[in-house]
Amino acid sequence: MRCLGVILLALGILITSQADAAVKPVIVCIQCHIAQPTKFSQPVKLWETSIHAEHGVGCNACHGGDPMDSAQAMSPARGFRGVPIPTAIPALCGGCHVGVTKHYTDSAHGRTLGKGGPTCVTCHGSHDIQKASLDLISKKKCSTCHTPEKAWLIRSTMLKRDTMLNAIEKKIKTLRSQGVETDQLEKRLFSLRNRFHAMFHSLDIKLILQESEHIQAALEKTSGAGGVGTGPLTGVVAVGWALIAALLFYLIKKNLD
Amino acid sequence: MIYLLKHIYEWIDVRLGVHEIINKKRTSYLMPRNINAWYSLGSVLLVSFVLQITSGLLLMLYYVPDVDKAFASVSFIMNEIPLGRLVRLLHAVGSSMMILVLLMHMLSVLFMGSYKSPREFHWLTGFTLLLLAMGISLTGYLLPWNQLSFWATTVATDTGNAIPLVGEYLVELLRGGHQVGHHTLGRFYTLHVGIIPATMAVLIIIHILLVQRTGISTPPFGLEDTTNKWKDDKFVYEEHPDGIPFFPNFLLQDLISISLYLAFFMTFVFFFPNLFIPAAAYMPANPLVTPSHIKPEWYFLANYQTLKLFPSEIIGITIQLAGIFFLAMLPFFDQGAEKHPLKRPVFTCTAISVILIWVGFTIWGLYS
Repeated sequence: MRCLGVILLALGILITSQADAAVKPVIVCIQCHIAQPTKFSQPVKLWETSIHAEHGVGCNACHGGDPMDSAQAMSPARGFRGVPIPTAIPALCGGCHVGVTKHYTDSAHGRTLGKGGPTCVTCHGSHDIQKASLDLISKKKCSTCHTPEKAWLIRSTMLKRDTMLNAIEKKIKTLRSQGVETDQLEKRLFSLRNRFHAMFHSLDIKLILQESEHIQAALEKTSGAGGVGTGPLTGVVAVGWALIAALLFYLIKKNLD
Repeated sequence: MIYLLKHIYEWIDVRLGVHEIINKKRTSYLMPRNINAWYSLGSVLLVSFVLQITSGLLLMLYYVPDVDKAFASVSFIMNEIPLGRLVRLLHAVGSSMMILVLLMHMLSVLFMGSYKSPREFHWLTGFTLLLLAMGISLTGYLLPWNQLSFWATTVATDTGNAIPLVGEYLVELLRGGHQVGHHTLGRFYTLHVGIIPATMAVLIIIHILLVQRTGISTPPFGLEDTTNKWKDDKFVYEEHPDGIPFFPNFLLQDLISISLYLAFFMTFVFFFPNLFIPAAAYMPANPLVTPSHIKPEWYFLANYQTLKLFPSEIIGITIQLAGIFFLAMLPFFDQGAEKHPLKRPVFTCTAISVILIWVGFTIWGLYS
């Protein structure tokens, strides 16, 4: 039994350390770059604050190379591509963010690629890549290329839907805290939010409006199903009947006494 | 229809003498004239126990006592089975309600001096039932295999390690290993659905038979002489010749109390279920992630806080065991004849102080 305990503990430690390793990969790029002058160390510091760092996406995901071998880290033979040229950036990011690429390519932004139009890093940043949010759409940033009116109109529409998605998320959390099975809903919401943010790049929000209404309907259905037999109306009836019964028995007893 | 029912009744009556039993209860089983509503808590407890057994049996139809399936099976009951959520809430909230009514019943017996001779056995069986009810709640707590239940059980069973010499073996016996795991679930399940309820059922029957055998104790209110009349020389059935019949008079009082209890119970089931089932109870158990705040059920909070108060757990455990022993043996320590709480101020003041300390420790444990 003791032996089993030790094995379980060892397994626990192993699993924990593996989980840690997945979140913070030890990559030689960082070890080397962090000790260099600002020009070369700054990207590391910026990356550390990024959503990529948060999810364990290392330097090699964009720059290629071998992050585990310091001698071959920047070898073209190991896929090192250095700083990507601007026109290659959408395809590079699209390697992971599949859904976004098509929307971007078809959009006004994508059609001006190589002609001074914006690439992914123009709005999202290159190393300090932040989680996609409406804060990325700012009058100041958009005004550097064109007048911000259209972007602002889209932002306000998106804000409305984002607020709705947040409200749905909050409601799902509440349902989960009451024991309602929300796995499917959470997955759908996650998928919808991703699609929603991706579709922004196409500037077509009609589809998003339809999809968010679908999930709202599904949520209401689940909310109702979870409460079968324990809704407030049933509660009022049950408590009411018990109180009426108590009153009746009291009146009979009083009459008898 | 009435004719048919009457015919069935007569068919049974000639074989079992049902009419005679009812007549006897109506005329011979008399209750004290000054009996009060507190005496009906026993019936409320009986209803509460039956409800727990019924809801528990229904839950057993779908519950799977396996660490990989237990949480999912409870989630399935709550989300997929018609009225499953209601049955689960009735069972989970019902356990707390049963403890609450048990405590009230015990307090009424304490303050009205009903534990005094010749009712030592009544008190001992009742007190054992309280401990068993706490035990059945503790074992049932683990069964949904969620974060709260897993860690609360880990902390609760770990307390046993503080007992010198045998502590480690005791914990291993309870857990079925060094850690809370599938063996613990199996053991707790067996205790929860088999051993403890069966023992409780036997003790309830004995408790009721004891009450029937000795007669109902006279409440000390509304009387001039409130002393215990019992003499330690021969068995005497406590009669109440000028009393009120159990059927239908006191049965109606029982029904009033049961209805009020159900209204109170349903209020929590339908409107405040999360008071008894917090959000952490809907997260599957994860032995690798310890939640920041592990709190036991409300009726263990005072014990939990007491253990935290002392630098050594063994001191806390010893004090609590001494307290339990003293309370269990109270009828043997308290031999005074007086039953009225106001005529025995030392007892009443001590009892109220202990209750206030218990409530204070419970609140302290909740917010600590």
